[in-house]
Amino acid sequence: MFKVQVKEILDKVKSDGRKLLFEDEVKRLLAINGVAVTPCEVAHNEDQAVQLAEKFGYPAVLKIHSIAYTHKSDCGGVKLNLPDGNSVRAAFREIRAAVADQEPEISVTVQPMASAGTEVIIGVTTDNHFGKVIMFGLGGVFAEIFEDVTFRLIPITRKDAFDMLGSVKGNILLEGYRGNPPADRETLVDVLLKVSKLIEKNAEIKELDLNPVVVYENGLLVLDGRGTLL
Amino acid sequence: MTICSNNAVVNGGSRMKKDLHPLFYPRSAAVLGAVADPEKVGFNIFESIVYGGFKGPLYPIHPKLKNILGYDVYPSLDKVPGPVDVAVIALNQLSTVNVLEECAQCGVKGILSIAGGFGEVGAEGVKLENKLTERANELGIPLIGPNTLGFINDDGNFYATFYPLRLIKGGVSIISQSGGMGLTIMQKALDEMMGMNKWIGVGNRAALEFSDYLTYLGDDPATRVIGVFMEGSEDALKFVKLIREICLKKPVVVFKAGRTKESDYMAMTHTGSLAGPYRLYKDILKQNGAIVADTVEELVACCKALSLSQLPEGKRVGVLTHTAGPSIVAADYMLQLGCELPKYAPETYQKVRDVIGQNPPVVLKNPLDAAGLGFPALTYGRIADAVLGDPSVDIMMAIYCLHKNWRFPSQEIIDVRKKWNKPALAYYVSTVGDSAKDREILQKEGVPLYINAREAARAVYALYEYKQIISSQTQG
Repeated sequence: MFKVQVKEILDKVKSDGRKLLFEDEVKRLLAINGVAVTPCEVAHNEDQAVQLAEKFGYPAVLKIHSIAYTHKSDCGGVKLNLPDGNSVRAAFREIRAAVADQEPEISVTVQPMASAGTEVIIGVTTDNHFGKVIMFGLGGVFAEIFEDVTFRLIPITRKDAFDMLGSVKGNILLEGYRGNPPADRETLVDVLLKVSKLIEKNAEIKELDLNPVVVYENGLLVLDGRGTLL
Repeated sequence: MTICSNNAVVNGGSRMKKDLHPLFYPRSAAVLGAVADPEKVGFNIFESIVYGGFKGPLYPIHPKLKNILGYDVYPSLDKVPGPVDVAVIALNQLSTVNVLEECAQCGVKGILSIAGGFGEVGAEGVKLENKLTERANELGIPLIGPNTLGFINDDGNFYATFYPLRLIKGGVSIISQSGGMGLTIMQKALDEMMGMNKWIGVGNRAALEFSDYLTYLGDDPATRVIGVFMEGSEDALKFVKLIREICLKKPVVVFKAGRTKESDYMAMTHTGSLAGPYRLYKDILKQNGAIVADTVEELVACCKALSLSQLPEGKRVGVLTHTAGPSIVAADYMLQLGCELPKYAPETYQKVRDVIGQNPPVVLKNPLDAAGLGFPALTYGRIADAVLGDPSVDIMMAIYCLHKNWRFPSQEIIDVRKKWNKPALAYYVSTVGDSAKDREILQKEGVPLYINAREAARAVYALYEYKQIISSQTQG
């Protein structure tokens, strides 16, 4: 059954003539495979955005939903912590205004604001030399500036997944520091294994970028994601 | 009338298992393009084979010359009065491609192609290289190169490189994507008295890939440790999957170049292959059971230790010295790598006091610095006995500084190692030359010697790494 659902999502992407997997599609792929994500649906107008925000509960998050703007926050396409319907409407208009020249009819995704935790990133790439490779790193500057990330060939074993956590310097944040509780490394390892398995079974997925993934004392949530097909 | 025409039936187009044995252990060889001018590659590769002590018939081939280094020269391959197992082609790139047919007709079982001017020089070269690959594969002859320094099989006395040299016999075989780095490894190996078995400059890998060489060396009973210098390879996936299997039989140590974006381009124009991201390579190599070295020095340090020493049960290192500085630096490196320096047991300290006095003017700890009391080799040996005998010590690093009047405690270290049946490494603060005699003595008895802290530390950790690799694999 899961297999059918995954196929449906990927077929839709292909029948649209896209390579890009939208955030909501990536999250559905993950959810099907037992990875916790923030619920996320697409709104095409203000009213829909408010309806979805009320369904998920406030505070809400709106993000641009576009092939062109894959770095969502760079174009002013991410609005966080929206407390009520009015702020959702205002945010929707601001996102539209930001890209009005290029995509005046742009849609957004709506999702609830998640609480803070330790941010990590999980990625998948198809390397010219090795093929399918999974990447893990701590979020934010750790990955971007310090390039503190680690790679393994897919498929990974449970030991590989634990080794991945230990292979980045930022691991110290996952272990708990200055009174912060340790992050739920078991669940994180499970998610790495699930992503590995998803890619192993669906080789047509070229890249995945789960960023950020917030790890809590118990459990984790994937807050954003994108992907591409071969 | 030639004998070689007897072998003219060639298994055309067969790409089954590539039999590299006749290439590495030829019974006879011909050098196409051999010349008498020492400035030329064609002379040096011929001289290298002679100087290397090749025992079989050796035929220089040249259209005009009569004699090179006392060997009769033949005008072409089909005029040679006997079968030829290996054809060493020291001709230019165009002639190299053209002569393959003749090699096949004469029943040649393996080819070494030296010439550059193939895939590494751009579109025209790529075309020519494709032709070389196709022809070699169609004819079913394994071909090393092109664009390589050559290869060496010390075990078969076949030194087919244009840098004539002699190696020390041993169990380490090296695969190198670069001639120059391959030479660096060999020269370092000579300094370190690391015994070598085979050395392969893979060149552009037109017909044989890293994985082919790795498969061969993995099955080669004479090779105990495999060292690899690589820039990058499209064959990387197959390569690491092979390492995963081979590492259970013998250690595979890899030094991967290309840590910057710029080096990708340099590698491309060197051997026609992008280097690929360093961190990705390093992580995936380790994931699949390779020991990853960061420099040539580390590569040789690891290969040497792995080829000489028994493996430690764990990562707890007992350090013994008579001078604190080198032990602190070595401890730093070892701890960073992941070793532990355990506290010695009370009985160990008592044994030490029994040797150097009940109230010695030193602090007893690990590293154990016996200071002036450790200068005499006999005393040093008795303290070493206490250190390696300590139940929490898996492996000992014994540090000593070269002195005009005091001898190195080499025999003492060897005796202690044997007594406790645990691995020991020596780190002598010395020059390569001044420690040569002791290096030979120690290494013959399975104690690798290093003359700097970093290499000694890396070697200790490599032994532990390999112990981990084989135990984690056997546990499933």
